Amino acid sequence: MYIDTLFSIFALIAIAGSLGLVLFRHPMQSALCLAVTMISLAGIYALLSAKLIFLLQLIVYAGAVMAMIVFIIMFLNLREKDLPEERERFTYLIGGAVLLIPVAWFMIKVMKSIPGVKNSIVGNGFGSIKELGQVLFTNWLVPFEIISLLLLVTLVGAVVLAGIRRESND
Amino acid sequence: MIEDYLVLSVILFCIGILGVISRRNVFTVLMSIELMLNAANLAFVAFARLNETMDGQILAMMVIAVAAAEAALGLAVIILLHRQKGRLDSNVFSLLKG
Amino acid sequence: MEHTVNYLVCIPLLPLAGAFVLGMMHMLTCKNPLPEKLYSFLAMLGPLGSLIFTVIIFSTLREMPAESRYLTQNMFTWFSAGDLHVDMGLFADPLSTLFLIFVTFIGSLIHIYSIGYMAGEENYGKYFAYFNLFLGSMLILVLGNGPVVMFIGWEGVGLCSYLLISFYTKDRDNVLAGNKAFIVNRVGDLGFVLGVAVLFWGLHSALGGAGFDYLNIKAGASTLTAGTGLAVCLLLFIGATGKSAQFPLYVWLPDAMAGPTPVSALIHAATMVTAGIYMVARFSFLYASYPFAGDVVAWVGILTALLAAIIGCFQRDIKKILAYSTVSQLGYMFAGVGVAAYSAGIFHVFTHSFFKALLFLGAGSVIYALHHEQDIWKMGGLKKKMPLTWIVMVIGALALAGFPPFAGFFSKDEILFMALAKGHWMIWLIGVCVAGLTAFYSFRLIFLVFHGKPRDQKSYDNAHEPPPVMTVPLIILAVGATFAGFFNLPAFFSGDSMVSTWLAPSLLEHHSEASRVTEGVAMVLSIAVVLLGIFYAWKKFASKPEDKPLTGFAKWGEDKFYVDEFYNAFIVQPWIAFGRTISNFIEPNIVDLPVKGTTWLYGVLGMLFKVFQAGYVRVYAIYMVIGLSLMSIFLSQSL
Repeated sequence: MYIDTLFSIFALIAIAGSLGLVLFRHPMQSALCLAVTMISLAGIYALLSAKLIFLLQLIVYAGAVMAMIVFIIMFLNLREKDLPEERERFTYLIGGAVLLIPVAWFMIKVMKSIPGVKNSIVGNGFGSIKELGQVLFTNWLVPFEIISLLLLVTLVGAVVLAGIRRESND
Repeated sequence: MIEDYLVLSVILFCIGILGVISRRNVFTVLMSIELMLNAANLAFVAFARLNETMDGQILAMMVIAVAAAEAALGLAVIILLHRQKGRLDSNVFSLLKG
Repeated sequence: MEHTVNYLVCIPLLPLAGAFVLGMMHMLTCKNPLPEKLYSFLAMLGPLGSLIFTVIIFSTLREMPAESRYLTQNMFTWFSAGDLHVDMGLFADPLSTLFLIFVTFIGSLIHIYSIGYMAGEENYGKYFAYFNLFLGSMLILVLGNGPVVMFIGWEGVGLCSYLLISFYTKDRDNVLAGNKAFIVNRVGDLGFVLGVAVLFWGLHSALGGAGFDYLNIKAGASTLTAGTGLAVCLLLFIGATGKSAQFPLYVWLPDAMAGPTPVSALIHAATMVTAGIYMVARFSFLYASYPFAGDVVAWVGILTALLAAIIGCFQRDIKKILAYSTVSQLGYMFAGVGVAAYSAGIFHVFTHSFFKALLFLGAGSVIYALHHEQDIWKMGGLKKKMPLTWIVMVIGALALAGFPPFAGFFSKDEILFMALAKGHWMIWLIGVCVAGLTAFYSFRLIFLVFHGKPRDQKSYDNAHEPPPVMTVPLIILAVGATFAGFFNLPAFFSGDSMVSTWLAPSLLEHHSEASRVTEGVAMVLSIAVVLLGIFYAWKKFASKPEDKPLTGFAKWGEDKFYVDEFYNAFIVQPWIAFGRTISNFIEPNIVDLPVKGTTWLYGVLGMLFKVFQAGYVRVYAIYMVIGLSLMSIFLSQSL
């Protein structure tokens, strides 16, 4: 099936991108790898019939957030001497991988125990903007408002942090 | 099979943890956290598809909102730390050390 | 006749309320004190109010039939546990009323005198607050309806004596004297508490949950076994020796002279030291049943009298002489109650309170006039300067020496005669000797202070009579010291023994009859001894006193037979050493060990765990992952 083939391709790209994120030394290279992962994840969302999430992943994540991160990295104008040495990072990577094997193994075991369904594209309504919007503004109205509150707090927090920066400049 | 999507989310999540614990570059740490959030999103969406309800997708939307906020604040903090110490090494910020 | 009244509580409550109000006022305004007149006015209200209520009670009791003369007031149940039921109640019978009369009367006079004596002193308000508290405690002691309530007052007077003796707190010696009084009293109080406990233990089945008060104790006293009763008597007597300054616990009283002179008068005359006599008389129904206990009391008393009289003959400090005379007179009283002549002993307390208050306040006037000079060898010739003080002091000295017709003669002679009549002729003989010594040292004081030539011209020139607020109480007391003896005129002088008759319902007393001839001979003999004492004092000190260093036995007497030094070497120092051992060795090494060990353990644990606190965010994340990993391993077992 073309869906499984596409999934395999996207999954491989996503894993490769995330490994690149962890392994590259310079943050700019890591950021580009993360962008690759996010774009491939957007493809996987599309395979799961989540049309709106696919759009948001591309616009908000791969677009806005990654652009901001890349922008900040470039803004700081990092040179080689600014980066940490991280000579021991492969030791940590191997040690961390050993530690995470039981975690991954346990979680995969849990996931495998779920009765599986063969993935296929479901009908037009599922995951579309209209349907999702109706659910969001009926069943999920309160969490939605809380999220807006969170964003407001973030806004205020960002302003405060900016204020601190200005004081330190004076 | 839907489980494959879930397994992929577990793998991505573990790689994200690995990034947090093994890297000292604060940018990489921040981006690893973003990766973990993405892995969680993938699990939500996969479950939404599995149960054919849209609640999982709503949650994923909200996680995206939180992640955007987190990225904004995290970057602001990183800039402040960089101005204070001139470094991006997370080991430099060891104010908790007794 | 109704025995329950509701105004009994006013007697102790008025001075206590005064103490509270004065104390609060003083505490709140000690930076800029209120005028002294306000304090003196408030301080007088309590004692005078108590005096009025005492008169009311006295007249109420007089109207009752003699065999059931008592008033009670139960305020509330203090505590009740098993068979022990203690009411907070008051009880007034002829014995306590007699005490009330002179405690409130003389207490009031001393208050008035203090207004003059303490004028201009620092902490004027505090002084009167303590004074009122002292009087209130003594009234609780006298009015308590049982030994437990009595104990409140018993401890109260102990506390107040401590506070007042060390009133001039700036001098270390005064504070030490206060401590000494307090600690020595504690020794006696332990005896008292044990005595009361043993008494209850012996009586608890007889009481059966009824109130632990005098009436019930008296009713159940016959059920006590001989051993228990004797133990109670002796333990209570230990308490009495502490409070009433008898051998071996008399040492605090001479040191108590460190306080202001009116305090000495209050302690010696009206309150505190008479508490022991009161208590023994109160338990007369017990002491009467155990003649051995009575003998112990009598012998301790008369030997104390002798010892204190000898020491008194060689002292230089005017107040110390009077202090030893008090110890000596208290010895007489104990000899009296010990030979079961309770009314004689109590009557001596009554007369003694008049002339001892008089002597102390007179001595206070002398000290006041000479600006706190207390050495009698630095006085002399004051008769011309202070004629009034001289007259009252001579009256006091005559009363103390027991010269007829002054107060002390009748009471002391009654005690001695009763001892003789009951067959204790040794006690009588020692008592007569002590009478001679008493006459000698009291007139030694008079001659050295008021007669002869002034030995310190400068202070002599400045001497003057004290203000009327001090002399009026002296005159009243002098009248009392002269005539108080006639209240109990014995049959020998065709009197009717008023006080003895009044006290009879409260006391268990067997009157012994002796022939009139014996009584007359004894009386003449004691008068002769007194005259001999006065004559010897006159010969030695009146015309040409010589202040030469004392030697031999006299030196011993001046140094109080080294009793204090003995106590210091054999009790105080070992005890201090014991305390040092505990505080330097046992406390840090044994008691503190678990505490120190615990802190050490936590210190070590902290050092151990500190290693893990790297301070790096990443390291904490690793710990979290380790936990996650272990949890996964554990959970996947059950999957």
